[in-house]
This record gives sequence, structure tokens and C-alpha cells, in this order.
Amino acid sequence: MSFQSSRNRLGLIVVFITLLIVCEATAYAINLPQPRQPFFQFYVLGANHTAGGYYPMNDSNIYLREPITWYIGVVNNMGTVQLVSIRVKTSNQTIPPPDDQLGLESPAPTVTDFAQFLQDNETWEVPFVWSISNATSSSGATRILTVEINNQSYPATSWSASNGYNFRIIFELWTWQTDSNTFEYGWVTQETHSTAWLQVWFNMTSLSPH
Amino acid sequence: MSRTSTTFTAAVLAVLTILTLHLPIAVSETTDTLQPGFNQAIVELRDAQSAGATPSELSEPVALLNKALELNREALKLSTSDEASERTELLAQVDQILTTVENQAIQLTAVSSQRKSMNEFLTYLSGAIAAILGTIVYASAMSLRRKSRIKRTFQMRVSRK
Repeated sequence: MSFQSSRNRLGLIVVFITLLIVCEATAYAINLPQPRQPFFQFYVLGANHTAGGYYPMNDSNIYLREPITWYIGVVNNMGTVQLVSIRVKTSNQTIPPPDDQLGLESPAPTVTDFAQFLQDNETWEVPFVWSISNATSSSGATRILTVEINNQSYPATSWSASNGYNFRIIFELWTWQTDSNTFEYGWVTQETHSTAWLQVWFNMTSLSPH
Repeated sequence: MSRTSTTFTAAVLAVLTILTLHLPIAVSETTDTLQPGFNQAIVELRDAQSAGATPSELSEPVALLNKALELNREALKLSTSDEASERTELLAQVDQILTTVENQAIQLTAVSSQRKSMNEFLTYLSGAIAAILGTIVYASAMSLRRKSRIKRTFQMRVSRK
């Protein structure tokens, strides 16, 4: 009887220790932070909030003072609060876009930027209503002088294209780096530099429809 | 002739200068120039987040930071000497907001870290309780099994073949 009782007790202790190990291991796994891949989503949508209809009547040949509405969005999936900046650059076919291999920004001039603090999983969408407010066309070259963005005029520097073909607006995503205390193109995660940029092409073959 | 041309060029330049000064064109500026407090505020907020601050808790300081960012941008636009006092006032407001955010973030870090430790303790405690309950269930099951076996043994009938 005594042998039976001590055998039962030993069995119970073994069961308890086994269960304790299993349950505490589960608790440890629950307490561990979930591993995730930090990244940003960066997009530009047309006037109808779709990936299309970027230009009135779907005609990418635009005219002076023709208002165009886009929405630029950033989704923060970095797991931390981020300060992001969207830089708007004016370019054409000859000015190169950002270099994805080297992670370098485009040398095109920056017209303006939009900055915002974003929480983790937060989406920030900026309405981008723009039009060409001043341009000249001579000797087969169209030169845009002033661009209006969200009711504010900005001078455009060296923004010209042969016969008004292949202008483009480049949007670059910059993030605030607390180490360097400045905005840097792209973002850094576990010593990996990632970048995100968008571009939308357009033509301006004549200044007015007629 | 040359003198007339020079005078004409000077007049054109003067007119262009006056026109440029009066055109409502925004200067292409970026948000590169931020008050030093912004960096510290971001670091403090990230600390609060690592300590377990929830998105709803962080929403207020983040909204304040966005307000400070807007004011900082407004201040950057004021560049003339006439606007100096307004600029100083705006930057003072920015500093004030940043101080508030830093204080909120420090407080959030303390509260969240305490809450996180408590949650961790409760999770481990739940594990121990689950182990004890499991053992009790096992012991009861074994006891029931033993009793049923004894019962079956005593209910057995001996039959002649």
C-alpha cells in the first residue's frame, strides 16, 4: 500500500513538472514579441481613388491650368512611430530616376515635400491637386515654369521636354533617421537600406486644347 | 547706342526684380530644418512603444507632434525681418509642444513598462495554475480509473465452463 502510494505521488510529481514545463514554455512564447518584416507601402492613386484615371479623360497629354487630382499614400508597417516625408520632384526623360541598386535619390530638383508623423499600421493619404500654371513652348521645346500644387505656386527649375513629351513627376519616400538627426532617402532595417519611389509620366504637347 | 542698351537692360532687370518680389510663388523648401526637440521626442515615443504603449495611448502625442511639425513649417516660411517675432513665437510654441510630448512619452513608458511586467507575470502565473489544474485533473482521472477497476473486480462472476 505504502509502495503504491509513493509510486502514485511520484507519478503526480512527474505529471506536474511536465505540465509546468509545457505551460511555462507556452507563456514564454506568448510573451515574446512577434517577429515581423518592417516595411512601408507607398502608392499614388487617381482622382477616383483607384490605380487608374490619373488624368482627365484618361489623356496624359495635359494643358495649362488643367487641374489634376491624385492621392499619395504611405502605410507605416515599421512597428514604430515614424516621421516620413514625401518629396515631389520634377523630371523628364533625361534626368534619371532614383537608383534602386545604389539606393540613391533622383538628382531631379525637389519642388516641395509633405511630412507627417505616423504610428505603426497607420495610413496617411495626401490629396495632390496640381496643374501647370505657367509654361513656354518654343523651338520644339516645352518648358514648365510654374506648377501649382494644392493651391500653392512653385517655380520649376530646368523642367523642359522635347516637343512636350515625357515629363514626369517623381515621388520619393524619405524617413527621419534619429541617428543622423536628418531625413534620409528610404529607410534602414537591420542594416538593410530599402527605398520606395513612384513616378507618373505626362505630355504637354500644346499649352491649350485649341 | 551702347549706353541706351545698358539703360534698357537695367530697366528690364529692375522691372523683373519688382515682379519677382511680388509674385506669390512659394520657395521650394523641405522639412529638413527641424527643431532639435523633434529627434528626442521620436526617441522617447519609440521607447514608450517598446515598453508596450498601445496605439490609442500614442495617438495623442503623435497628433501633437504633427501639430508641432505644421507650426515648424509655418515658421520656416517666415523669413523676413518683419516676420521675425511671429517666427520666434511659432518656434516657442513648437518647443512647448515638444516638451509636452516628451513628458507624455516618459509617463507612458513608465506606465506601459509596469503594465507589461504585470502582464508577463500574470501569463507565467496562468501557466503555473494551468499545470496545477492539469495535475489535479490527472489525479482525479487516475483515482476514478482505479475505483472503477476495483468495482469491476468485485463485480466479476465466476462461471463454470
